[in-house]
Formats: sequence, C-alpha cells, structure tokens
Amino acid sequence: MNILETENLVIKRMGIPVVREVNLVASSGEISVLLGANGAGKTTLLEGISGIIPIASGSVELEGNDMVKVSAGKRALAGIAHVEQGRTIFGSMTTEENLKVALHPDASLEEIYELFPELLARKDVQSMMLSGGEQQMVVIGRALVGRPKVVLIDEMSAGLAPVVVNRLMKGVRRLADLGLAVVLVEQFANLALEIGDRAYVMRRGSFVYEGDCATLGNDPDQLHHLYLGDIGEAA
Amino acid sequence: MNSLLTSAVAGLSAGGAYAILGVCVVFTYRLVSVVKFTATALGAIGAFVMVIMTEMGYPLLPSVLVGILVGALASTAVGLITTIWFSGSSQSIKAAVTAALLVCIIAMGQRLTGGQQPRAFPDIVGGAGIQLAGVTITAASLVAIGFAVFLTVAAEQVLNRTRMGLQLRALSERPMAAELLGIPVRRLAIGVWAASGAMTSIALMLVAPLRSPDFGSLSLLVVPAFAAALIGSFKSFRAALVGGILIGVIEGLASVFVGLNQYRAAVPFLVILVVLLWSQRGAQWDEAR
Ligand SMILES: Nc1ncnc2c1ncn2[C@@H]1O[C@H](COP(=O)(O)OP(=O)(O)OP(=O)(O)O)[C@@H](O)[C@H]1O
Ligand SMILES: [Mg+2]
Repeated sequence: MNILETENLVIKRMGIPVVREVNLVASSGEISVLLGANGAGKTTLLEGISGIIPIASGSVELEGNDMVKVSAGKRALAGIAHVEQGRTIFGSMTTEENLKVALHPDASLEEIYELFPELLARKDVQSMMLSGGEQQMVVIGRALVGRPKVVLIDEMSAGLAPVVVNRLMKGVRRLADLGLAVVLVEQFANLALEIGDRAYVMRRGSFVYEGDCATLGNDPDQLHHLYLGDIGEAA
Repeated sequence: MNSLLTSAVAGLSAGGAYAILGVCVVFTYRLVSVVKFTATALGAIGAFVMVIMTEMGYPLLPSVLVGILVGALASTAVGLITTIWFSGSSQSIKAAVTAALLVCIIAMGQRLTGGQQPRAFPDIVGGAGIQLAGVTITAASLVAIGFAVFLTVAAEQVLNRTRMGLQLRALSERPMAAELLGIPVRRLAIGVWAASGAMTSIALMLVAPLRSPDFGSLSLLVVPAFAAALIGSFKSFRAALVGGILIGVIEGLASVFVGLNQYRAAVPFLVILVVLLWSQRGAQWDEAR
C-alpha cells in the first residue's frame, strides 16, 4: 500500500530548483532507497517532504491527503517522521529522556529497547556521551515512538564503522518488516540496495533511475554510470 | 552592629523581588534563548494596571489578578514580535529588539501613568512580619523570598520531572528537531513568554511599595534582574535566587553608611562588573595556558 507519494515535486533553494519534478513512492513494509552523489538534492527532497522547507510546485501526499500547505509539526503528527542528517540528539538529555520527549500514548520504550538492545544499558547516560552508532539508534528510536507511518532517514551511516552500519541496516529492515514505509538516503549504496526494495538514483535534482534494488545491486556498472553521469561516460 | 543587621534585613524584601526577577530572566533565556530587556517594563505594565484599578475603587484581589493577566499578555505580545518577525535572527539581534522595545514601553508608560509622579501602590501583603534576634522581618520580605524560592523549585521540577519540561528543553536545544517530532513548539514558546510576564508582574507588585514607584524606575529594575541572572550565568535558577537576595542585602547594607547611601542604586552595576571581570579572568587564564 502506498503511504507516501510525491508528484512532480519541485523544491527551490535561493530561487534555484534543486529538486525537479520528482515522483517518489514509499509503501508500507518497503524500503525506498534514495541514492545520489553529494549535492544531488537528496536532503532537500526529504526536507521538502517533512516540511522544513517550502515546496515550489507539485504535491506530497500522505495516504492520499495533500501535505503541501501543512506545517512541519502537523506533518509529524500526521505520520511523517524525519531522521535528519547529522544525528540531532538532544545532547543534554539522557537516552531515555530523548525517547520519552515525543512518546506516543500507544507506543512504549520497550519496543525501542527490543529493536536496539544496546540502548537499554545506556538509558540513563547523557546522550552527548553516547557513541555515534548509539546516538543514531536514539534518533531513529525517538522518531519511531511517535508512531509514524513513514520514516525518512538521511545518511544514518555517515562516519560510522562498518560493523555498526550493518547493525543499523538490520534495524531499518526490521522496521519495514513490521509494516512501516521507509525512505532511506544512503552513501553506502551496496548495503542499502541489499536491504532495500525500491531504488531511486538522483542526479542534479532529478531521478535518473527508478526500479528495484536487486536489479541495480546486481549491476555495478550501471550504478556507477548513474552516479557519475556524463563524467562517468567520459572516463 | 545591630543597625547593620537591621539594614541587611531591610534589604531582604528588595532582594526577594530581585531574585524573582532574576529567576524569570534565566527562565526566558534558557527556554526561548532571548535576553529579555523588556522583562521588568512588561511587569511594570501589569503592576500599574493593578494600581490604576485599585485607584478606581476596584477591590485588591481582582485588580492583582487582572494586572498579572495584562502583564502576561504584554509579554506574549513581545514574544510574538521576537519569534515571528525575528525568528531567523541571531540572539544579539533579538536582544537589541527587546532593548528598543524597552525604550518605547518606558516612554509610553511614563506618559500614560503620569510621568515621574509616584503612584500610591497598595501593600499587597498585609501583616506585621516576624521578629528575629530583635530585628523585624517584614511580611513583604517573607512573601517575596518565599515566592522566589517557590519559583526556583517549580522551574527546576517542571524542567526535570515533567513531560512538558522535557519538551521545553527539547525546544530550547533544537527547535527544528523538536518541531519534527510534533512537539507543539509555538504553543510552548508562547506559554514561556506568558508565564514570565505573569511572574515579573507579581515581582513588581511586591517591590513597588518599597521604591519610588514611577513607571521608569520600575522598568529599570531590569538591571538588578540581569545582575542576579548573570551570577548564575543566565543558566542556574538557584544562583539567580541567591544572587538576587544578596544584591538586595548589599544594597541594604550600603544604606547604613552615609557616604555610600547615595550610590545604593549602583550596587547591581558593580555586581555585573565584578561578575563579568571574574568570568573574563577565567577566559584569560585559559588563553594563557
Ligand atoms: N541551505 C542551503 N542554501 C542554499 N543552497 C543549498 C542549501 N543546502 C543545500 N543547498 C544546495 O542544494 C543542492 C542540493 O543539496 P542537498 O543537501 O539536498 O544534497 P544531498 O544530495 O543531500 O547531498 P549530500 O550527499 O552532500 O548530503 C546543492 O547544490 C547544495 O549546494
Ligand atoms: Mg544530504
């Protein structure tokens, strides 16, 4: 079932279109992997969907309801969770306080400790003292206890050791298996394609590939080409 | 010796009021990151509404309540100006906006309340006070200090133990992340401004009868309020509480010495100066290493 759908979405930064006519779909139980080189417009797309920056034209629909004019806070309450780039923990709070701050009445902290058992032993630690991987688990957990319908995750692996990245990828796969729609922006293309379902590759604001993860994952040459575009062809 | 003690004790009621004001300044700074120069002027609006109502013959209690409400509304209005019109601006610009607003409010307030001419502020706490070691501690001092302690404890408890407090801390630390979690950021910020307006109005109602209560002088109580807040680095409620009371006591002591009495009003400035020099000293020390 399609949870999130954008249609011909255009987002501008300082008057210049940075996301151009993008059509993205995220379905429950699936991971939509969004790849692309630095500066392609991935973060901008997520920020437009969650309401951090305004949309120039096109539509964003959550379960068929138009979100374009809805504020970021209302979109969050409607079910769009955004795990921003850069691990935006509340550093002065403990792990548990971070999780409690937006706890939905139907959700419980136990679910998060089940998903990321390593957090349980660290629950009373000030979150700025946690390791990068643990902090990433905290911000993902914090988004989940708000009972979202779709989770947008932006570069959760940045700067983390491969073991930790693998661990996080498993956690994200589990979320989708539990029925959530996930949009995953990643630099570790191969790992993301392994756990993902639908794949998009973005270049200079537009999608240059849309298909399934398995196909793209099995064709490294095409992936390379999609990433680099003209430069790749010249090489 | 006894006169020293008497004067120190006499400074307690002003000290209690400074402590309330200092705690309010810390409150707004910590939660909405604005150094609020208008704090006491907004409280003065509340206090003057109360006086004008009693002068018109309304009973004390409703006048006090309406005064607190008006103070809260005025503070909310200033909050909306700084958060809506200057939402993207830096802290120093926001502080400058509130400083400019302070000048406007004082000018208008002076005009509307009859200039320098002091009003007859009712003593909102009746009662004789208590005797301690031969010195009378007035009921006003006890109420002011009691209220200051209450505010300090309440602010700490709310921030550390309640869900709303958690959300306020989230808002102050990362407003965007808080909004993305569906925390009602706008409503909470307005609540902070309203609460601090109400608290400062109460503080000024308590301190006004001890002063020459014209609008301008009451508004300038922002100086001891900042001095108290500065003692706690604009972070610690407890330090602001103790600092405010200390400033009041030092002022009281200064009144004993004939030569110093005229300079009493300079005490908060001196405290600010000393605290700033002290913190600079630390910075230079760090640099030297
Ligand atoms: N705050 C901003 N103001 C103006 N332009 C911006 C801003 N943020 C990003 N851009 C520009 O928008 C384009 C897309 O940036 P965006 O951050 O969305 O890319 P990205 O795909 O997320 O890249 P990365 O992989 O580096 O995170 C880039 O050209 C960038 O220079
Ligand atoms: Mg990015």
